[in-house]
Parts: sequence; structure tokens; C-alpha cells
Amino acid sequence: MKKLLTILALSLTAVTSANAAVVVIGNPAAADISINDVKKAFLGKGNSSVVVYELEEGNPIRSEFHQAVTGKSDAQLKAFWSKQVFTGKGTPPPAVSGAAAMKSAIASNPNAIGYIDEADVDATVKVIIKP
Amino acid sequence: MQFNVKILSVAISMAIVPSLAVADEAADAKIAKLEQQVQTLQAQQNASLADKVKFNGFISGAYISSDNDAGYNNADSSANFSEDSKLGLQGTFNISDNTQAVLQLMMRGKYDWEVEAEWAYLSHRFDNGVKIRGGKLRVPLFMYSDYLDVGYAQPFARPPQEVYGTIPFSSYTGAGVSYDVEYDDSTLTMQAFGGESDVKNSAVELSNLMGANVSWTDEIWTLRAVYAQAKLDGPIVSEVTVPLAAGVNTQANYTVLELNDEKGSFVGVGASYDNGEVIAITEWTRSEIDNAYPDTDSGYLTLGYRIKEFTPYATVAYMKTQDNDERLPLSTATAIQMVAFNAERMAYSIGLRWDAIDNVAIKFDVTYAEDFGDTSGGFTGNSIDTSTGKFTYDDTLIYTVKFDAVF
Repeated sequence: MKKLLTILALSLTAVTSANAAVVVIGNPAAADISINDVKKAFLGKGNSSVVVYELEEGNPIRSEFHQAVTGKSDAQLKAFWSKQVFTGKGTPPPAVSGAAAMKSAIASNPNAIGYIDEADVDATVKVIIKP
Repeated sequence: MQFNVKILSVAISMAIVPSLAVADEAADAKIAKLEQQVQTLQAQQNASLADKVKFNGFISGAYISSDNDAGYNNADSSANFSEDSKLGLQGTFNISDNTQAVLQLMMRGKYDWEVEAEWAYLSHRFDNGVKIRGGKLRVPLFMYSDYLDVGYAQPFARPPQEVYGTIPFSSYTGAGVSYDVEYDDSTLTMQAFGGESDVKNSAVELSNLMGANVSWTDEIWTLRAVYAQAKLDGPIVSEVTVPLAAGVNTQANYTVLELNDEKGSFVGVGASYDNGEVIAITEWTRSEIDNAYPDTDSGYLTLGYRIKEFTPYATVAYMKTQDNDERLPLSTATAIQMVAFNAERMAYSIGLRWDAIDNVAIKFDVTYAEDFGDTSGGFTGNSIDTSTGKFTYDDTLIYTVKFDAVF
């Protein structure tokens, strides 16, 4: 029984450490930006010169990012954007297919911000915030 | 094969760029990176086209029925599939970075799917952040006014009728101006609007409609307040049963009240809280119209709790006319006004929103309305027995099953 619990505890630890840590990334040339401004940018508010990229729906990093930054679940985020779209207030940011596409998009635009798993960060982008 | 050649040729031409040519990478890795860049460029090109025009839509299908024929939300004891079923199609056209045209066409089952423009406006945002809009717009009286028909963006099966049902128009033709003040972690939006409107399927017109609202949100809390006023003009016509002889009745249109540029005013306050799990929404409104047209107070409180894809909720709502002393039964005409306009009721709803699949929510709702006092409860289907002075129904129960989707 004790052994079983240990295994259970170990496997739980393993699951936790395997959990991706999402980081907000920007172009290496970009100025620093606060977490509140990141949140606003991803909800289509605030400074309109910031260009944001999302990962595609269904990507666990996307859910983790929104949980941490905008505080919205997948369903809430969809409801939020349907409200914005159908009142003409804004449209959801473009979505890219994965970490490589995200880095490529960010690297090509000095005003762009996005988010990826910390493990995927390389020299083409810089980490702005670890939410 | 042709595709590969194309990619390669692009890759080769891009590899000539000196900064890339000196990169000391294995050829495979380099091609992979270039392919990625080509994809990004293609995506950006597609995006710039997609940025110009966007099409979106929403659809709701609902079954409603009631235990009687009082007429809550036009429900009766037989199944009704049209009242809350609707389809909306929207085109957003970006004319320039700061100028856009929005056209939203609505088809509603309750109006035999007749096509109507619910939003049709041109908007422009100035460099100082002031946004102006002109055309056909939603009257922003309530928290859910702007997206009244987009069920997917609402937690409940329908906004509480005690509050939302007191105002018989939802859009206006005119202009509006809005400005956002950005704080560190929140946004304050101020909006003013003016124009004219009319009441669907009636000859009542609203002119000199103007108002303002202010709302603040940090995406968890939302607080708002609104004031609006208008002049109302035209006849309030009701279909009445006229007894010709014992047991022989006929239906006739009867002008209950002739509005003659009556001044109406509206105030509303609202608050909502949504931390991702707990949802609380409340609104309170007061509308006042000169003379015999009813002044109504109304309010509701909705509480909900998200458990993964399920959001059970409960709502308590009320409405009550405040100026019943302006409709005392001193003559036949005022007696009819009393019967037609005096209204009060309480409504209790329990429901469930189920985010069943991507972009589709299914909702179940049971609403019970009672405490009509000496009134019809505000239901046209609740007629009075003139010999006893009693209304046919003193409560009503409504069942709703609905799906809301966006695309």
C-alpha cells in the first residue's frame, strides 16, 4: 500500500514537472511590456500598435497562457470573442500552428508578441514575461 | 513534386540573402527554417487579405413550451420552435486601419425569418482614441443589448424577460460616439448616442432618442450605468375580444392609448462578476413615460457556477408598474388601460448551459412566473373575466431547450 502511494506520488510529481511552462515572447528588438498590457493586447484592447499571435485552438499551451494571463477558459474566451465580433468591437488575433510558426511570426515583426512553451525559446525571440 | 520544387526555388532565392548564406547550418536544417519562413510569409499574405473582410455568423434553435397559454415569451401549451430561433450573418469590412463598415443581417423565426439589418454602420476611430459610429445600431440600454441575439455569448437561455421585455425596441438609426480610458488593469468606456427608432409591428415611433452610458471592467468585475430619453408618439393598439351577444365574441383592434409626443426616460445600473468559476450578474432598470403609458421598475440577479463544460445557473427577476394610480377605472377607456398596462410579476429560473462541442452551447431552462397581483402579469394571453374581475392565469411555467452556435 505504501509502495503504491509512493508510486502514485512519484507519478504525480512527474506529471507536474512535465507540465509546460508558458512564457510570453516578443521580438528581440521589442521594448518591455507589462503583464497588464499583454492581457489587454490579447483581448484586443489598449495600445493597438502591439501585434499579437495566438496558438491555434486546442493547443494546451494556449489554454495555459489564457488561464494565467487573461484569466479566461477556452469556452469563456470564445464567448468573449463572439461578443466582440458581433458588436463590431474587434476580431480575435491570428493563430499560428505551433512553436516554430510562432517564433517565425514574432521574429519577423518588431511589434509582435506571442507565447510558447519555455522549452521552445531560442535566440530568434526574447522572453518578455513568465506569467 | 512540383510543390517541393517551388519551395526549393524560393528557398534557394532566399538563401542568396547574405546574412542567411553565411549561416553555418546543415542544409536540411536550413531548408526547414526557410520553409517555415515561406509559410509565415504566406500566412501573412493570407492574413492581410482576410483582414479586409471577415464573415461571421451565429445561429440559435429553441424549443419552448408552457403549462398554459399566458404567453410568457410568447410560449403556449403547444411546442414553439420559432420564438427564440434565429440566424445572424455578419460582414465586417475594413476600409482602412481606422475605418470599418459592419453589416449584421438577422432572421428570426418569430418574424417568419424575414431578413432585417440589426447592425449596419460605418465606424471610424480617430488618432486620439475617440470612436464614432453612424447607421443602424443597437440601443445600449442593457448589459446584453449589444449582443442580445448572440446566445452563445450569454450564460442563460435568454436574458430575463422581466427586465429585457419592458422596452419594445432594441435598435436605433443615428449615431454614437465612444471613448475608452485605459487604466493599468481595467478599461472605462464612455458612450453617447442619439437617433430615432420605432416599435416593431406597431405605429409607435421614438424620436429625439438620446442617452449615455458608462461601463468599467477589469474582465472579472463589470459595472455599468445608463441614462436615455426619447419622445414617444403613436397609437398603442391591442387586439381585444368584444362580446356581441351572449356567447358570441369577435376580435377587434382597439386603441388602448394614443401617445402624443410623450416624454420617456430610462435609467439602468448593472454589475457582473465572473472569475472563471463563479458568475454573478445583476441589473436594475426604471423606465418612466408621461401619462398613462406604464412606468416600470425591473431587476434580476443571476448566479452561476462553471464546472468544466457545465454551467448551472439560477435567476430571480421581478417587474412592477409604478404608476397604477394613473390608470384608475374611472371610465371604460381607463379601465381598459388598467387591464392592459398594469403589470407585476416575479420569475424564478433554473437552467444549465452545456458547452457541448466547439462553438456550440446547449441550454436547458425552466422558468416559473407568479405573484401577478391584480394584474395580467404583463401577458397579453392572460385575459380578464369582466364578471369576476379575475385574470385567467395567476402563474405560468416555461420550458426551454436551446442550442446557440457561432461560426
